Amino acid sequence: MKAAPFEHHEPSTVDEAVSLLGSLEAPEVVAGGQSLVPMMRFRLATPETVLDLNAIDELDYLREADGHLRIGALCRHVDVEESPLIRERYGSFADAAPLIGDPQIRNRGTVVGSVAQSDPKGDWATVLLAHGGDVVAHGPDGERVIPADEFFVLPYENELREDELIGEVRVPAAGDDEGSAYHKLKRKVGDYAMVGVATRVVLYGPLVAEASVALTAVDITNVLAPAAGEVLAGERPSAERFKEAGEAAAEAANPETDEHGSAEYKRNMVRVLTQRALADAYERARGEGPAESYGTDQTSVGD
Amino acid sequence: MPNTKSITLTVNGTAHELEIEPRELLVHALREELDLTGTHIGCDTGNCGACTVELDGEAVKSCLLFGVQADGSEIETVEGLEDHEDAGMGRSDLHPVQEGFTQMHGLQCGYCTPGMMMASKVLLEGNDDPSEHEIREKISGNLCRCTGYKNIVKSIQYAADLYNDREPPESPVEHAEAGVEAASDGGEPATDGGTVAGGCGCGAGGGACGGPGGDDDE
Repeated sequence: MKAAPFEHHEPSTVDEAVSLLGSLEAPEVVAGGQSLVPMMRFRLATPETVLDLNAIDELDYLREADGHLRIGALCRHVDVEESPLIRERYGSFADAAPLIGDPQIRNRGTVVGSVAQSDPKGDWATVLLAHGGDVVAHGPDGERVIPADEFFVLPYENELREDELIGEVRVPAAGDDEGSAYHKLKRKVGDYAMVGVATRVVLYGPLVAEASVALTAVDITNVLAPAAGEVLAGERPSAERFKEAGEAAAEAANPETDEHGSAEYKRNMVRVLTQRALADAYERARGEGPAESYGTDQTSVGD
Repeated sequence: MPNTKSITLTVNGTAHELEIEPRELLVHALREELDLTGTHIGCDTGNCGACTVELDGEAVKSCLLFGVQADGSEIETVEGLEDHEDAGMGRSDLHPVQEGFTQMHGLQCGYCTPGMMMASKVLLEGNDDPSEHEIREKISGNLCRCTGYKNIVKSIQYAADLYNDREPPESPVEHAEAGVEAASDGGEPATDGGTVAGGCGCGAGGGACGGPGGDDDE
């Protein structure tokens, strides 16, 4: 099936894009298009106009600046996957990127697009939540910063207004005593998560200063599991504490039975993956050298 | 009157001016406007990778972007391989990847092959001597539903041999005795499918074809 007819607009600056967004008839914003294009061809989405961000060069970045890791709306999954900065300091991002879609999809799809899509099975929203990140929206009144934990409302629904687009997502820059990880259960390459868990651990000497756990695909949106983080705060990290945190995360999860597995199974996987992801994050926080030298390799492709 | 846009696509080194509707997918622009039907449409959902082309040096699924989004791009399709500057490095006039797929029996029905070869080409241009693991990663967005990936991986390794001045292996297609070896770790034993040269008549080495006598037909 072909997509319904639409007008294609390709602004070259953010200002131009915002002004078009206010004047166009029923627009959809596209960056990577790896979800929107198939939705359009099956006519699940029938926008009259498409606002294409791909010519806005100022949105194509991945950098640390002003105390944040900033990811612009044209940063592709592959850019995260191949970034030395990410491999060095942001374990959760390094873990998540190669587990998304397949190589071709990662060459086109964007981090910000995944956040904007707000599919509770998407991975980036969970990583953003675990890091206490923000969504930076651009609208007619300028820039608006929306904390990630207030952004996701319902499946495919978020706090973005119709006259706004996302310019970047950002997370606080990782400190030396910080480590993070993402673990994902999926049946095969290209699948969405059955369960995903992002963790972030900040150490203060031998103790955990702060820990957070966020979950993919086990609730109505991507969610934080604050109770799991609280188990660890102020404690000395240990397998026993990670186990308790895993149990707290499992209790906080709200999975549904579907063709991929029962709610009970998914809840158990939340427990297991939380433990593993916390252990990886801790190892990275404690370890010398780049994040990529620690943690579990999850990218193996089976036959 | 449908709205259309003028775009320029440079495909396999030739610039084309096209007037297309924004809703036309890149794969349709290639197949229907330019008659380059080597790029296949397999699944209609972005899963199968048969429509993989090279867009400005990267492998992309041409069913997952609109033609207007490729305006001004350099595109390589399977039709460009035989005229590529790397063609003729091996024992034939073909591109190393094409020669690998023919020599190592990297295809059966051929439907996935254009996408497989374009994903392989882009892989080898970034890394001309990938490990088996890297090969499997990079073709993980391309589905083969005939026989599996063993011989596809061998085909890409064959091309890597050519790029690295190593002697590539004997073809199990042209050398029946080599076919026994190819089949021995490639699936069913040769005795199952009849003679080594392919009891089903498809010309596959040993049991590699999966045709009559193989699992799929029983």
